[in-house]
Amino acid sequence: MKADLTVDAKGLSCPMPIVRAKKGIDQLNAGEVMELITTDPGSVKDFQSWVNQTRHELLEHREDGGVYTFYVKKAE
Amino acid sequence: MAVYNLSAEQLRDKMNKGESLFILDVRNEGDYEDWKIEGKTIESLNIPYFEFLDDEDVADDRLPKDKDIVTVCAKGGSSEYVAEILDGKGFRAASLDGGMKAWSQVYNTILVHEEEQLKLYQINRLAKGCLSYMIFSKGEAAVVDPGRHLDVYTELAAREGAKITHILDSHVHADHISGGPALAKKTGADYFVTTSDLQGTPPFAYKPLEENKHIHFGDVEVEVLALETPGHTPGSVSFFINKRFMLSGDTIFVGGLGRPDLGGKAREWAEMLYDTVFNQLNDLADDVLVLPAHFADLSEINEQGIVGERLGTIRRNNKAMQTTEKAAFTEMVAGAASTETPPNYEAIIAINRGEKSVGEEEATELEIGPNRCAVHHHG
Repeated sequence: MKADLTVDAKGLSCPMPIVRAKKGIDQLNAGEVMELITTDPGSVKDFQSWVNQTRHELLEHREDGGVYTFYVKKAE
Repeated sequence: MAVYNLSAEQLRDKMNKGESLFILDVRNEGDYEDWKIEGKTIESLNIPYFEFLDDEDVADDRLPKDKDIVTVCAKGGSSEYVAEILDGKGFRAASLDGGMKAWSQVYNTILVHEEEQLKLYQINRLAKGCLSYMIFSKGEAAVVDPGRHLDVYTELAAREGAKITHILDSHVHADHISGGPALAKKTGADYFVTTSDLQGTPPFAYKPLEENKHIHFGDVEVEVLALETPGHTPGSVSFFINKRFMLSGDTIFVGGLGRPDLGGKAREWAEMLYDTVFNQLNDLADDVLVLPAHFADLSEINEQGIVGERLGTIRRNNKAMQTTEKAAFTEMVAGAASTETPPNYEAIIAINRGEKSVGEEEATELEIGPNRCAVHHHG
């Protein structure tokens, strides 16, 4: 999937992955896609809750050997 | 700017003193609903930390200005982040260092009974609701249902000037990793558990409770009688001490009975539990003090901070224990067990049977969460 912005939060623990994601998404225009990469398993559920609450759209997420990748489309 | 961090032990001590505290838990809603810090003098509120990212004022009108606020998350990072925001606004906020992970490893030791030849302590792992016991007599000590943080027991034994000689598990636990085999290795004490619960030959030495129904230690006789009380697991036992204290394992709790469904044979084990309750325990006097291996609700903690109740009172208050008709009892108990099981219980049982071993980090992760061992029949 193509992203307009990639936020690399590998090696960071809570709350930093979501702090970075928030900063990232603030730079985007509505409809653009952010890719977030994190290695903190604890941030996965939090990230999903945050996306739901902010009404951005989680397009895809996957895990590969302890690396979690999320694609989020910024809300209108 | 750095905010004040409160250690899990400091939080425990404040709770023991009855200090009134306001807990702001900043984990996501699901984790909070599942498992949280509770106490009789604690007020608690859940606002996930990521809500503060969009609006730092999000909690302002819901937080007290005149009370100490303790922020809590899974490991301590997000709670510190929120505590800093609150501190900047003039709230009296401190963050729980190490979060729920640290809280899950805190133990609280309370003296239940003391006389010349016998001292009985209840050791409460507050976050998980796990209870273990130490019984002292004439320089010797028995440990019942120990958790895996061995220092708690060796330090208490050192303070009492006693040697740990006996370690007993009431059953193979499903909700926490037993400290029994490791403590036996460390102290040279004998480890007792039922063979029927182990289901195979473990890699550690043990003495089967089936063949050791009368255990003595101390100069003066302190009798630990293993009553077979199956139900929760097929090899569950209770320990009856000096015919006055019943360390009931997961068979009888202050507020309910042990759930019989964790072995996949709910009905069969519920029938065994019926026989335990109505045949084996029938002759025990009403004034026997029942001291279980768990609590699930704060109401099970009494005025002295002890989780324990007279058998007569439990009999009167427990609906299942008044259901003398076997079919109805089985239906009630087998049907009432929650669909939510103790987190990671299959892995934990395998570890306790010696079929699997894990390091410290993985052990801590596996044990995160509540115990979920009881069938609830309050009122």
